[in-house]
Amino acid sequence: MGWQIALYILLVVALFIVGLRLLRRHEKRHPQKIQFSRKLEPYLFVMPVFVLLLLAFGYPLINSVLMSLQNYKLIQPGNIYFNDFGNFKTLFADRDIGLIIRNSLIYVVASVGLQFLLGMTLALALRRKFRGRGLYQAIVFLPWAFSAFVVGLMFRWSFNGEYGVVNDLLMKLGLISEKIAWLGTPGLSLLVVILAMVWMGVPFFAIMYLAALQSIPEDVYEAADIDGCGAIRRYFAITLPYIKPTVIMTLLLRTIWVFNSFDLIVVITGGGPANHSQTLPSYMYTRAFSGYDFGLASALGVILMLALGIYAVFFLKVTRYNKAGDF
Amino acid sequence: MTDRTKRGLSTTGRVLLLAVYLLLVVLPIYWMMATSFKTHTEIIDAQNLTYFPQEVTGENYDQLFSMYNYGSMLKNSVIISSSTAIVITLLSILGGYAFARYEFRGKGSMLLFFLLTQMIPGILVIIPLYVIFANAGLINTRFSLFVYYLVVNLPFCVITMRSFFERIPYTLEEAAFVDGCTRWQGLFRIILPIMFPGIVAVFVFAFIGSWNELIAGTIFISTSDMWTVPVGLKSLIGKYDVKWGVLMAGGVLALLPTAVMFAVMQRFVVEGLTAGAVKG
Repeated sequence: MGWQIALYILLVVALFIVGLRLLRRHEKRHPQKIQFSRKLEPYLFVMPVFVLLLLAFGYPLINSVLMSLQNYKLIQPGNIYFNDFGNFKTLFADRDIGLIIRNSLIYVVASVGLQFLLGMTLALALRRKFRGRGLYQAIVFLPWAFSAFVVGLMFRWSFNGEYGVVNDLLMKLGLISEKIAWLGTPGLSLLVVILAMVWMGVPFFAIMYLAALQSIPEDVYEAADIDGCGAIRRYFAITLPYIKPTVIMTLLLRTIWVFNSFDLIVVITGGGPANHSQTLPSYMYTRAFSGYDFGLASALGVILMLALGIYAVFFLKVTRYNKAGDF
Repeated sequence: MTDRTKRGLSTTGRVLLLAVYLLLVVLPIYWMMATSFKTHTEIIDAQNLTYFPQEVTGENYDQLFSMYNYGSMLKNSVIISSSTAIVITLLSILGGYAFARYEFRGKGSMLLFFLLTQMIPGILVIIPLYVIFANAGLINTRFSLFVYYLVVNLPFCVITMRSFFERIPYTLEEAAFVDGCTRWQGLFRIILPIMFPGIVAVFVFAFIGSWNELIAGTIFISTSDMWTVPVGLKSLIGKYDVKWGVLMAGGVLALLPTAVMFAVMQRFVVEGLTAGAVKG
């Protein structure tokens, strides 16, 4: 593996140097065409990144669309053929698909909503300087750097029905009289996943909004104070409009990200009990790599991507945001 | 209510809120650490849950290394994450510089393409890549993960790097050009030294992104000598028997590097995270 990476780096560097040399030579020989080669310069800088991404996303995507239309099972390599939208038909005939779509919606709306509210509250609370704020932030923002996998383990262990600390605490507080099987009960298992996701996601929103809040000029608030603006009115009339671009972009990106990520589900519940905490992407993962039915999984993926694309366009239209390239 | 009591009330509310939130963040982490230092018998004593290890032991950590070969997982993770992060940082410097300092045809659509890559479900890229890697004999190599982590983390890192470049006034470079610097020298001698925080931030993003990843790891890697930390730890979750003490010890050690990185570089990282967003 080492040599392969080294080779790639060498290749990029070599291409870059050769390109730069050629440009320079061209400039020296045709000084009048200097304008032209200056125009090529940026492409030289972007090329390694762009070509790499185009190859790594473009080719697989086309491939996925093709696979979604085929009977493509990895265990039957000799038996690959176009099956007349068979994968899509199988997908919609699946009797659990309704439940899984519902789970996905609950999971995304609840966890993004809670993350957003808590993150915003935290940012507002941290806005004014106080002693130890730096240290406080260093601790509280820590979950941002944590791996979903380990966070999943933490929550799975804490909500363990037998030895879990959550049950123990709730019983000691007298809130419940019997241990709850959090991960084995439909509804509750999804709730645990959502809680873990919120715990992980609050720092992202808090960091983004804290920075955005600090860019609001102080004198706007002073003017509002003189005019006798209340705290709530002040928030909706000044704060929110000022940070609106950040709010829109974070909500959009986070929704997509949360929707697509499922490591927490895999670690905490494995989709159980009986698909009650399965979301569309985690279902896709299960179908792709337990049965190696890549055709079916790709079909699900294509639908997901279309849904996300429509969501993004719709969201940006509704919020009248027109700086899509600038995230 | 006078203004003074109002303000006092809101301060109390704020302190209370911050305290409760701190508790919510710290408790799960504490619980993981406490469990990792308990003996197996203490962990599975469901009648008497102890909130502090009765007898602090390192046996879980010992087992992790002696029985489950944690050292090899760490090695794989370190190699993959650091090589990914280095290459991403280099490529981001090039790409970010071009996006920040040049106007060129297709710039807008390239940026849009970067945004679109963020919308693609990872699995949709993983499946075809799996087929490609399998045909090329690259399944179960560190290289396969390196490629995947490289491409999924690259778009965000390039955009972040671009915002760092944009914050540095162009006049600085112009002055250097007037003094006879080439563009290349300007980049290396003038801009990059000032950009240090940005470079560190991008490196940390890329490192954390690959260090924490589980799904692609479980798919591309099949033998235990190639396991990364998350993949190896996941294998410890058996169907009926879960070694919680060992698992928690593994979790603590898995979090340590990224937590330390984040704590030390927090200022840079937060700057980097917000660099793109605040402009709007």
